[in-house]
Amino acid sequence: MSSVNDPESDLTRKQRREQAREQRRAMEEASAVQASQRKRLIQLGGVAGVVIVIIAIIVIATGSGGSKTAPAPKSAAANAAQTSVVSLLQGIPQSANTLGNPSAPVTLVYYGDLECPFCKQFTLTALPSIIKKDVRTGKAKIQYRAMATATREKEIFQTQQVAALAAGKQNRMWYYVELFYHEQGEEDSGYVTESYLQGLASQVPGLNLSQWSSDRNNPAYANEVISDAQSANQNGFTGTPSFIVEKAGQAPHKLENTSLTDPKDIEEAIAKA
Amino acid sequence: MSRRALRIVTILLTVLGIGIAGYVTYVHYAGIKPACTAGESCAKVQTSIYSELAGVPVALMGLIGYIAILATLLAPESERTRFATLALTLGGFGFSAYLTYRELFSIHAICEWCVTSAVVMTLLMLLSAWRFMRGAPVSPGSGSAFAGPVDAVTDGGVGVN
Repeated sequence: MSSVNDPESDLTRKQRREQAREQRRAMEEASAVQASQRKRLIQLGGVAGVVIVIIAIIVIATGSGGSKTAPAPKSAAANAAQTSVVSLLQGIPQSANTLGNPSAPVTLVYYGDLECPFCKQFTLTALPSIIKKDVRTGKAKIQYRAMATATREKEIFQTQQVAALAAGKQNRMWYYVELFYHEQGEEDSGYVTESYLQGLASQVPGLNLSQWSSDRNNPAYANEVISDAQSANQNGFTGTPSFIVEKAGQAPHKLENTSLTDPKDIEEAIAKA
Repeated sequence: MSRRALRIVTILLTVLGIGIAGYVTYVHYAGIKPACTAGESCAKVQTSIYSELAGVPVALMGLIGYIAILATLLAPESERTRFATLALTLGGFGFSAYLTYRELFSIHAICEWCVTSAVVMTLLMLLSAWRFMRGAPVSPGSGSAFAGPVDAVTDGGVGVN
């Protein structure tokens, strides 16, 4: 039996004390790590919560996309659009889908979709300068052709394009096209209704509405929409607006990805033709 | 994955995000059509009313966000910078989720640039969360795995777990 003062027993006690200290330290470290992990988890959860609240506020604030619908016929916005379109086009000859002097040496073919917001941007910002500088002066004429891009329903695409072409029978297609772009509604909002199309027609100066209504049934226009799509396809166009600059005796010059706001690219192409 | 590799992957993903957001921001201000394999889908998304928030293009917001994330990654690593990276990427992830929701349910078109950015941001958020939860590396002799004393230890330094 060992005595209390036995050095061997003393060592064991020291070792035990050391072990206990080590264990205590390990436990403290483990609990510190746990506390740190818990703190980080709380911080992570806090940030995630703040993000969720902010996103929920954004979703509620942006709602269903605001009120970017087409203006009602005879509304102030529609009247402003009509005034702007009339002042841009008045006095420029029109024939079917062409704007400008039929004997103008250069033809700019504009492939567009009436519901395409890019076409709207181009038509409202870059095109007026081209019309003033090149079309009004007789240097060029512009032909509008249809190419479906933004309009989702094939049937609606055809209906709206035929409505424009039927106005062309009375040499007023460009009024219709310009008014469509000026009053374009939010994409996929279903704004292109029969009353929208008729509302535009009622804004076209001098358009005989009953003749226009009857011309809309002319199958030649539906065929023209199909042939426009075929020609866009043959040219390899993938988006609207796309353009071709044509001049007799020269190979047609395709223009894609031109600036939607700066008319310079197209004006230079017309000047070079 | 070592801390160094984790940080490098996170930085590379952020640079990729800057490239995507930078291109889309350029397209927005230049008024040109974005390169897109899905026809007009990208254009449709980028010209929709949801392409701006309070008058600020969301592409520009994304670009600023990615630059801020890069700044937190390039700063000397500490608990605070890891938390800043996490907070920014969580915010970016939430915003990407909102934009994807708008693409699917409001615009009905998918923009491949936006989807790629959303995937990059999701990866960044996961990596940042992992990096944040791992905490600071244990410095030999510190006697503790607790973050405090080794906050200033940078990646690739001593005591990599």
